[in-house]
Amino acid sequence: MIYKRKRGLTLLTRFKRSASVVFLDPQMSETVICEKGEKLDIILSPRLYWVKKMKLPVATVREVKKLLPSIFEDSLPLGHYSYYAYKSEDEFILFAYEDKIILDLILSKGISTTDIRSIHFAQSEFMDLEDAVSITDKESMYVKETLVVLAPSAWLTESRNLELTNITLSKHTIKLQQFGHIVDNKSLFKIGGVLVVLALILLVEIFVASAKRDAVLEAKEELFSKYNLQSTMIQNKSIQKKYSKIYKTQTKLRATIAVFLSMPLKQSQKITLLEYKNKKLFVSIKGVKKGSENTLLSKLNAKKLKYKTSFNGESIKVEVSL
Amino acid sequence: MNQVNPLHLGGLLLVVLMFLFFKLHGIKEELAEAKSEFLVSQTLAVDLNALKSVYADKTKIKKSLERILGQKSIVAAKLHVKRDKKFVKISSQSMDAAVLNGLMGKILNASFNITTLKIKRLSDTKASLEMEIKW
Repeated sequence: MIYKRKRGLTLLTRFKRSASVVFLDPQMSETVICEKGEKLDIILSPRLYWVKKMKLPVATVREVKKLLPSIFEDSLPLGHYSYYAYKSEDEFILFAYEDKIILDLILSKGISTTDIRSIHFAQSEFMDLEDAVSITDKESMYVKETLVVLAPSAWLTESRNLELTNITLSKHTIKLQQFGHIVDNKSLFKIGGVLVVLALILLVEIFVASAKRDAVLEAKEELFSKYNLQSTMIQNKSIQKKYSKIYKTQTKLRATIAVFLSMPLKQSQKITLLEYKNKKLFVSIKGVKKGSENTLLSKLNAKKLKYKTSFNGESIKVEVSL
Repeated sequence: MNQVNPLHLGGLLLVVLMFLFFKLHGIKEELAEAKSEFLVSQTLAVDLNALKSVYADKTKIKKSLERILGQKSIVAAKLHVKRDKKFVKISSQSMDAAVLNGLMGKILNASFNITTLKIKRLSDTKASLEMEIKW
């Protein structure tokens, strides 16, 4: 059996202002002033939810909850519904409601969601109602075949005012999904799950890359220690530059001396001086006439050595800069 | 009953993801830089170690030079050897050309840092020598 609610979202009612229990119905025009620090227990009018009572071949409410969307599938207008169920004797009481419509109604009355302690269905709170109770001037609420329903007051012989002062609320409460219309919980958990997994992958990658970086830095420190290097690369490069320069000069000195020593000297030609100072090599060869030195110096040219020559009689002096 | 907007939550997760992504990017860059620096340092260390062992290991240079100067033919040439903290000077006013040839062959084939050298032909069999080796 389904009790349909209407969509006129104009109102809400609180029957006893000092009490923290509020009856919420769209047709009522009173507003609620919530005192500082006071928490409200809200009872939803049958107009704000759809209800079914039925026997189901399952044992627990948990199993029923999985079936709720398909049970209400054909009877609800298009919308984003949340569901609730509880067991009453051998039957289940099933509910479908739209969080956004209820929330909009609550907010339109100036109630902050932080001021709400609990939200109940009229079905669970008034199922033991003996007489009809008036909700508005024109409508009353009464129990028909164990379901709490609304009906025009004119249909009923008598109805009393709704009294909420001494009401004992049941444990059947719901939590409204404030953003259920944006994204449903399943999608939210899936998207959230994917993002969390991505975050975890990134965290692992950060950890691994960080460990690798630390290992490389440690290896570098060991390298410095093993080769007894200076603390900074500038110092080390400077030392390397100094020794590399010595190496190049010494290699070139030996290579240049080897060129002179392998020169095709004639019987009359002798090396009389071989001198190296200030990175310059001087070689004097006697018995060389001016103009005939080209054959002699051809080896220097072949090695592309830069040199200067000067003559002192029949003695040639060759100067090579290293 | 106040709830967090899932879009805000999603946004926060995205911000966290972006932060992690940039953090990872930064660490990967640091890793690449560290690897590059390590390779440069390794090359430099090996090179410097080799150069130092040749030109800066005073004990090794001294030992090698003493071995050459200790050879019978060279001892017989009565070379004047002056040892200083930073260098050694080897000289002779007149020495046998063959001995000089042998000495220079050994000196030039080794990796000594020769800073000055002067060989003057005196006759067909004699020559003078002045040489300074840094150690």
